[in-house]
Amino acid sequence: MEPSDEALCERVARRDEAAFDLLVSRYQARAYRLAWSILRNAEDARDTSQEAFIRLYETAASFRGKSKFSTWFYRILVNLCLDHKRKHKWWKLWVRDDDDRSDSILDRQPAPVNDPVDKLSREETLKALGSAVDRLAPRQRAAVLLRVQEDMATYDIARVLKCSEATVRVHLHRALATLKKTVEKH
Amino acid sequence: MARHPDTDLVPYLRGELPPAERERVARHLEECPDCKQDTELLRDLLGNLAHAIGQPPEVVWARYRAELREKLEARRAQVRWWRRPMPLALSASLAGALLLVAVWGGRELSKSPDSLGPDEVVIGRELGLLQEFRTVERLDLLEDLEVISNLDRLASERQG
Repeated sequence: MEPSDEALCERVARRDEAAFDLLVSRYQARAYRLAWSILRNAEDARDTSQEAFIRLYETAASFRGKSKFSTWFYRILVNLCLDHKRKHKWWKLWVRDDDDRSDSILDRQPAPVNDPVDKLSREETLKALGSAVDRLAPRQRAAVLLRVQEDMATYDIARVLKCSEATVRVHLHRALATLKKTVEKH
Repeated sequence: MARHPDTDLVPYLRGELPPAERERVARHLEECPDCKQDTELLRDLLGNLAHAIGQPPEVVWARYRAELREKLEARRAQVRWWRRPMPLALSASLAGALLLVAVWGGRELSKSPDSLGPDEVVIGRELGLLQEFRTVERLDLLEDLEVISNLDRLASERQG
């Protein structure tokens, strides 16, 4: 039987390298994807998610098992991403990091649809929606991404963002209201 | 009509609400066409968002893990560096303190007489005396010895 994340984390606290490697393998793709969704830059996402794993290694002993391991780990990761965004806020105004946007939304989409007009319209809407997500306030965006990408419950999002469930509901409501307006314009 | 359950709609769609709340929202949606429409829009929006956000560029995971390993090693080495040089840090502090004392002492020694205080000037005047302190200390004894050595002469003077 596969060991649980929580059991592996306990072993990491005892400096079990194999347990650490296994946790990294389990979470690397999700961590990188979530970091990229928040930061929208591949290099930053790689560095930040790797830093989250290093923090995990260093602070595994502080994981008390009160929450799920994934919630605890995502809290580390999201905090690092939000810190990164805060630190680079002004720099990004001058240097656009749109290396990841060079591929159009079309390239990122699977299975083309039959009607080219529908396809174009849908692509434009999705593109506008993606840009609107980028413009959301950082915590609103984090709440949306945790809900949409990680399929996290409000309770778990609240644990990751260290706020109340009511606050998460407000974040989601405001974020989705903003995004809805974007869709309605198209 | 009760207040619109705006912030409850997302948890409602995900089926997170406790039964009583879920019932309340469902009842409201039956009565409120605006909220019902909003809920449908939200459902579509949440469905489309995953596509809108897209997927990050591909990563070679073996290289990712190798980089992570290197960074972790570098961090450990950094930690070891901070642990190991405690005696080094201590000796550096001591060297700094000694340097400070030396500089401070040098400044004190190089002070001009003009900058000395009155007490220091008085002590300076008596410096010669202090250099002969051993003699001064035994002055009473030396006087006594002189008296003793001249006792014979004093006695003859009295008799004479």
